[in-house]
Amino acid sequence: MLSELINPYYLQVATFILLNIILGVSIYITLGTGQLSLGHAGFMSIGAYTSAILTLNYNVPLVIGIIIAAVFTGFIGVLIGFPALRLQGVYLAIATLGFGEVIRVLFINWEGLTNGAIGIRGIPHLGREILSFSESLGFSPGMIGLKNNQFVSLAVFLVLLIISIGVIWFFIRQSNSRIGRAFASIKMDEEASEAMGINITYYKILAFGQGALLAGFAGALYAHLTAYISPSDFGYHRAVEILIFAIFGGSEVIWGPIFGAIFLSTMPEFLRVISEYRFMIYGALLVLMMAFRPQGLIDTNVVNWIKRPRLKKKEGKHGTGNKKDK
Amino acid sequence: MSLLKLQNVSTFYDKIQALRSVDVTVKEGTIVTILGANGAGKTTMMNTIAGLLKPKEGSIQYLGKDVTGLRPDQLLRKGLALVPEGRGILASMTVLENLEMGAYHRNDAEVNADLEKAMDRFPILRERQSQLGGTLSGGQQQMLAIARVIMSKPKLLLLDEPSMGLAPLIVADIFKIIKEINEAGTTVLLVEQNARQALKVADYGYVLETGKVVASGNAKELLQDDTIKKAYLGH
Repeated sequence: MLSELINPYYLQVATFILLNIILGVSIYITLGTGQLSLGHAGFMSIGAYTSAILTLNYNVPLVIGIIIAAVFTGFIGVLIGFPALRLQGVYLAIATLGFGEVIRVLFINWEGLTNGAIGIRGIPHLGREILSFSESLGFSPGMIGLKNNQFVSLAVFLVLLIISIGVIWFFIRQSNSRIGRAFASIKMDEEASEAMGINITYYKILAFGQGALLAGFAGALYAHLTAYISPSDFGYHRAVEILIFAIFGGSEVIWGPIFGAIFLSTMPEFLRVISEYRFMIYGALLVLMMAFRPQGLIDTNVVNWIKRPRLKKKEGKHGTGNKKDK
Repeated sequence: MSLLKLQNVSTFYDKIQALRSVDVTVKEGTIVTILGANGAGKTTMMNTIAGLLKPKEGSIQYLGKDVTGLRPDQLLRKGLALVPEGRGILASMTVLENLEMGAYHRNDAEVNADLEKAMDRFPILRERQSQLGGTLSGGQQQMLAIARVIMSKPKLLLLDEPSMGLAPLIVADIFKIIKEINEAGTTVLLVEQNARQALKVADYGYVLETGKVVASGNAKELLQDDTIKKAYLGH
């Protein structure tokens, strides 16, 4: 019964959607202080390579590898954050784009460590690690009527689901906190925020570091989901893809990039024919969004509209005043 | 006692010198105004005092201590607050959220009581508390900017052109409010192009020209001074 419902292919698609959600949130955090980064593919690759090399060459347990990779990428993000402070808008975008390319070229040429353009294969796979772990506990997928590959896809999906929910929950909490207010205020008016006593250096670097950490985390997960990485996975296209989640979905509220990631990762699956023209469509989408809805599809108004108190049919229809309640 | 003392302060934008060895003293409890034409360096001076810009030479003393080179957030904690030119309202936060941001560095228990006080003083802000800051009119935004800075409990308040872009009636209101804030015990340093109004509320005035202090004196004397009259007050 259960085994007929579980289709590994759909689960795999859903898993990559969740990974894209994490990437979308990572760019949202950085954009949340008005910093436009095209370096997130670079951060992603640092995370992916760090965890791949640690687990493969040094036999570090997978979970520890992912955590170290995320923290290390966050640290690199903080280092990049300092010079990034001096740059605004498009200049920052260009500089971070350059950073991403430098990282990519570094990984191509540092053959001793990264195996160059061929990439690293045989990276421990998250799903199979979970399988062998549960087998060591005396559990086998057959016991709940699943085939091994079904169990693997299901386990990976559930792990990613829990992680994504955790990430989203954390950043929603953060955006309602002092830190979130400072981020929002810096995005709206840097000078006024400074005059209000917000240490903008600290918060901008914090946002940059958090974005990098999360991108590195997603990169490490990516390495252990595909079991194979090469520098071409983290090129310019990837950076644009991440950015477009936030531009299409919106970068005002966290639901924007989440929606963008879900929508833009699902579409190519349903419309296989357009999949090859994906980047053309992304390009056109960017132009159209900038012209007609620069804030993205989901903004504060949309969220308020969804959250609006729904009036019962017979109430609230009297009078024409548009006075707001407190 | 002087609350703020600038000695020999020079500020540069790269190679361009915007302030030339400026000496300014602000006595506690007074209103001091800085007059000058466009490009005279008034805003540069305010931003230098508030820590947004670092002076290349000279020293700034506040409360008897050298505060040259401190960050704006450090100065704000010491009670030195700036309303920047153009008001700096956070457009997509509500009026209430804007006011709360004014108390960003505070975590004492009186924040809510002060919030109520601020809205008592500006009833229009209470009325509009859930409206977005960006949807207020210019005059309301200026009141919000002043109410917000009061939330930080400043000892010395720097106001950069509070009358900019406002209708004459509202300008009169704003100056009345500035006077009230001063009478409640806050020292005010005011930059204005509206020289006549500014000198009427001020105790002391400085005139800046191309980054230099060219005249200073009691506000009443400056109002009568012939050269000042010609240059800044019209007839």
